[in-house]
Amino acid sequence: MSGPAFGYCRAADAGDALIQGARPGAAFLAGGTDLMQLWKMGVATPDRVVDISRLPLSAVTADGSRLSIGALARLSDVAAHPLVSRDYPLIAQAILAGASGQIRNMATVGGNLLQRTRCPYFRTEDLACNKRMAGSGCGALAGQNRQSALFGASAACVATHVSDLAVALMALDARVEILGLGGPRRLGLSGFYRLPGDTPERETNLASGELITGVSVDSGDRFATRSTYLKVRDRASFEFAVVSVAAALQLEDGVIVDARLAAGGVAPMPWRLVRGEAALIGRRPDAPAFAAAGALAVEGAKPLAHNGFKIELLRRAVIRALETVTAQTAAAQTIGGDA
Amino acid sequence: MNPQSTPRWEAALKVTGQAVFPAEVQAEGLLHAVLVGAPIASGQVLSIDAAQARLTPGFADLVSYPEAEPLRASSVTALIREPVIYFPGQPVALVVAESLIAARAAAHAVRVTYEQQPAVSALDQVLDQAYAPAMAGRIPAASRRGDSETALADAYLVVRERYETAVNNHHPMEPHAVVCSWDGALVTVHTNTQAVFGTRAAIAHAFRMPLEDARVIARFLGGGFGCKGQLWWPWMMLAMLASRRTGRPVRLELTRAQLFTLAGRRQETVQDMALGFGVDGRLTAIEHHVLAQTSANAEYSDTTAGVSRWLYACPNVTTSHRLVRTNEPQPIPMRAPGVAPGTFALESALDEAAMRLGLDPVDLRARNYADHDQDAGRPWSSNNLLECYRVGAERFGWSRRPAPGTAIDGCWRIGWGMATTCYPAHRQPCRARVRLEADASLLVQCGTQDMGSGTYTVMGQMAAEALGVPMSRVTVELGDTLLPEGPFSGGSQVTASLSPAVAMATTALRGRLAAMAVADPESPLAGYKPEDLDFENGMIRARTSNVAEPLADLLARREPEGLEAEGSSDGPDREGQAFTGMGFGAVFVEVGVDPDLGETRVRRVCGAFAAGRILNPLLANSQYVGGLIGGIGMALHERTVTDRASGRILGDGFADYLIPTHADIPRFDIAMVEEHDPLLPGGVKGIGMLGTAGVQAAIANAVFHAVGKRVRHLPIRIEDLIGD
Amino acid sequence: MSDDGRIALSLTLNGQPLEVDVAPCDTLLDLLRDQLGLTGTKKGCDMGACGACTVLANGRRIKSCLALAAAYDGEAIITIEGIGTLEHPHPLQAAFIRHDALQCGYCTPGQILSGIALLEDKPRALAAISEGMSGNLCRCGAYPNIVAAIAELAGL
Ligand SMILES: Cc1cc2nc3c(=O)[nH]c(=O)nc-3n(C[C@H](O)[C@H](O)[C@H](O)COP(=O)(O)OP(=O)(O)OC[C@H]3O[C@@H](n4cnc5c(N)ncnc54)[C@H](O)[C@@H]3O)c2cc1C
Ligand code: SF4
Ligand code: FES
Ligand code: FES
Repeated sequence: MSGPAFGYCRAADAGDALIQGARPGAAFLAGGTDLMQLWKMGVATPDRVVDISRLPLSAVTADGSRLSIGALARLSDVAAHPLVSRDYPLIAQAILAGASGQIRNMATVGGNLLQRTRCPYFRTEDLACNKRMAGSGCGALAGQNRQSALFGASAACVATHVSDLAVALMALDARVEILGLGGPRRLGLSGFYRLPGDTPERETNLASGELITGVSVDSGDRFATRSTYLKVRDRASFEFAVVSVAAALQLEDGVIVDARLAAGGVAPMPWRLVRGEAALIGRRPDAPAFAAAGALAVEGAKPLAHNGFKIELLRRAVIRALETVTAQTAAAQTIGGDA
Repeated sequence: MNPQSTPRWEAALKVTGQAVFPAEVQAEGLLHAVLVGAPIASGQVLSIDAAQARLTPGFADLVSYPEAEPLRASSVTALIREPVIYFPGQPVALVVAESLIAARAAAHAVRVTYEQQPAVSALDQVLDQAYAPAMAGRIPAASRRGDSETALADAYLVVRERYETAVNNHHPMEPHAVVCSWDGALVTVHTNTQAVFGTRAAIAHAFRMPLEDARVIARFLGGGFGCKGQLWWPWMMLAMLASRRTGRPVRLELTRAQLFTLAGRRQETVQDMALGFGVDGRLTAIEHHVLAQTSANAEYSDTTAGVSRWLYACPNVTTSHRLVRTNEPQPIPMRAPGVAPGTFALESALDEAAMRLGLDPVDLRARNYADHDQDAGRPWSSNNLLECYRVGAERFGWSRRPAPGTAIDGCWRIGWGMATTCYPAHRQPCRARVRLEADASLLVQCGTQDMGSGTYTVMGQMAAEALGVPMSRVTVELGDTLLPEGPFSGGSQVTASLSPAVAMATTALRGRLAAMAVADPESPLAGYKPEDLDFENGMIRARTSNVAEPLADLLARREPEGLEAEGSSDGPDREGQAFTGMGFGAVFVEVGVDPDLGETRVRRVCGAFAAGRILNPLLANSQYVGGLIGGIGMALHERTVTDRASGRILGDGFADYLIPTHADIPRFDIAMVEEHDPLLPGGVKGIGMLGTAGVQAAIANAVFHAVGKRVRHLPIRIEDLIGD
Repeated sequence: MSDDGRIALSLTLNGQPLEVDVAPCDTLLDLLRDQLGLTGTKKGCDMGACGACTVLANGRRIKSCLALAAAYDGEAIITIEGIGTLEHPHPLQAAFIRHDALQCGYCTPGQILSGIALLEDKPRALAAISEGMSGNLCRCGAYPNIVAAIAELAGL
């Protein structure tokens, strides 16, 4: 049942947002697609929402080889933006694999990175959940945990992060632009998110009241022709990933010189598969290399009662994603694209 | 387009948003209601403290056990009269307030204390307490013909396997709602019920009032599928109590999450199947034993093993149903109740047998065709199953079925599978009124309601065709207890029940009109024989010449007030002993399975169905397709998950309880095999449920054909296909 | 914001200017259905997961159950009531009737608004329509006919 009534104000500018956001009980409202759900479920109980949706932070721009996306850019606009669809198809694909047309029209980039887990214990009032109510226990650990994490979990929390966009951004080493009352700062996406440890209620290193102003990616366009986002799910659309993989390769003279692999639905944050990546560098993009990457990608996975299948699924998804990337390259070659 | 394929009568209202569903009825001074649910799975309510709630702004009233106590005791009112908790989420009170938000805040402030008792949250926790109910749906729970034990011992081939199906929830897109208001002793209840008359009877019984004092209205229903019935009534009655106490109209709407607990579910099943075959592929024995969940407070069993009693010819058949009580929500019928899970087991096992016998699955089924109902020992009213196999196989291209595991499309392994479906033809007593206005427009009325299955249209059509009035001149009124009493919507029986009642009314009208015309010297038809007159295009026409008179002229002269007649039909009991009415069908399915990633997608479905006379092929096609899509959901997506520790349902929304989306929809080819059933009134059988069964097994069989994995439980998911 | 915490909004609703007060936590869906009596917009889940509440805001389809009304101040909202009438249905409404793209009709207004928005993107294949419409669930299973109706208008 929904949380108590809240007040509303609209931030006049970013500075105003910081001031309003600093008040206790305040919550930023961007697209509202996650916040409103959480409020209706009684999980989020803001006293006041600070509407930031109209702050002028929605531009998509390229500066040299840096792509910048405003935090309040709507997902559908980002996916459709020519800079993104041409040079960063991985981002566009990941966005379009998520949610539905209506939600992508509302949802923002910043909100997407900050959306909370879909762990059903978290989203059901009064069930044991350390993330929702510290110290109440983790219902999923010994309960239903098909969607729980294989990596990075703790005894306190085994929830997964479910954003599709964040997986693509993680593969591209994106950085999060942050504004606080003390000024701007910037965090790499992997430093932006936190593992649950003993404090699963804290999911990011964003301080309370800080605003995300945008995300940026440096020289990610070199993956433009060799990247893919693979989302495995029970039904064909409109479902969070069971497992997803973002893969991007850079080749020189037929040899992999840079490789990016990140996975979704398997960890408390978008999860870089660094060992899988390392297995690819210096090798030709062929089946043995992909098999090695797949095998290493799942090393260290810790299954629970119902999610063990995701280990094998992730291994295969990594291989499939890499195959798709190289098939694209082959296709590009046959139509005379760059090799 | 087939002339009978007239568009849905009420379609324009629905596409423009003008159709008013019960929750949307406007009422002056409306109060909003919210239910307070128990967090525990089993126990007693000790106290309800509303002091804080009463202080919240906008609070109007709270009703709970003491307020409901004066209602007459029955299975319907038990849950609101007795402070016993049987399942988590069970409402213990209802709060009404000036706005929904105020009602929620007040509900939050209600303090309830409980005495908690040990609970059973899963069927497998108390297997030793399984018991045999007397009835499974409408038939006895156990059956025995011949001696299946001996026959299995002697069989040339035995297939013995366990099949399981998950809990499903109905989830009509429109949640349950009521808007009710009292006027002295009279009450008007707008609610989306599948049974306006049953609802009225329950209200009259509970509130100790004459039937006439309660009016129940459901002009439109946003789907039902079995859940808009009696399980909703207790909560509806709480709202009615609050309305009576406050003297103001009250609206209660269930939330989507509450549809998982308060409105019923398809029960989980564990089915032990044993099939024995002779060398010739003929069934010599069937054993079908079903274990299923029921709730702690009520007993319900689907007719799950029924199909094994009647679908095929077999001399030795033993079936049984057993139940386990858990502190979970109450199961009730849902889309093809019993037949959907039952055919999953039977038709999967037959597929396994076909493999081992080296027979084509269609051939195996045809060999075991039952030329009469062996369970009841009487003939079918009609059974064109063999024709369904033939037509379905031909349209699907079954004879070109590739060798197992050989068809590939990119990453997808292609598999073909098929299964049989059937559903009993039900009927209920029904009355209908047909009124011909002086301007020769038609008003057709029956109190029964339209869940979305096309009752408005087919009823209008039946009357329009009989009286030769164009559909554009027809008005249909349904869903109101002030109208002539009609059946509840369930078991695909409404059309079959309506058909004879409307026919009776229109026959009477035709008779009176014809007699009037031939006896009227001012009519050009004067002197003709009534039996030589036809009704078409708003005219009465002599078959023997081209003399005709517009209906409106005749009426203006002779019946300026219009003319009306009522028709009625009985339930099936009188002739019910002599034969069995049943619809049959064959479903052919093509799936793609990605063997690496475990994803399964249905690509193509061909269903051939024989279900009596089809009144409107356009709508019938939609019904079959809708049923098949429901079956796809059951096969691949739908699964209600309970947390064993708390007994609570997890992921209680559409983001977690997956149903098919647009992107999951295959190509459909529906073949309606023509069937003249001389024995059933109007030759009509139900069709809605027929499409919902069979397809689950066809999909499982196709998955096996694609990748060689036999999945014996539903839904079939990624984890079932990527292991070794 | 007024003293009682209500917020004054000016919207263009179905082409007409509208001044209205809302509570801060009212969704656009609450405003339409409960306050304005525009019940053609349906509430199927209230959680963004079914699409029954789809409306157009400044020409884009959104789920009104997750849209905080106050945040849409100044926007142009179009609901099913503003799409066509019984006498003059929108071409997609007419196509829905012809293709029998509805059964119970509860998901229908949302399907139609979603379809109208999707048609603006000029889908070039049936699969693009199916994928693009997947945010709109239909429990009756009218899906193939819905896609057929949209495809007809897309010229497919
Ligand atoms: C049915 C459904 C299906 C979905 N499926 C998918 C899917 O498949 N894949 C996927 O990735 N997502 C999916 N989503 C999630 C959706 O993408 C997110 O809800 C959305 O991206 C959140 O963005 P928003 O702008 O609406 O965030 P809001 O709800 O406005 O905000 C979310 C949180 O972020 C905070 N916040 C927002 N912006 C800022 C900022 N700039 N600075 C600081 N804090 C901020 C808010 O305070 C709030 O706590 C689905 C959602 C729904 C409802
Ligand atoms: S996994 Fe995390 S979110 Fe889920 S129940 Fe445990 S603590 Fe809560
Ligand atoms: S009611 Fe808004 S998406 Fe379901
Ligand atoms: S027509 Fe009933 S839900 Fe779509």
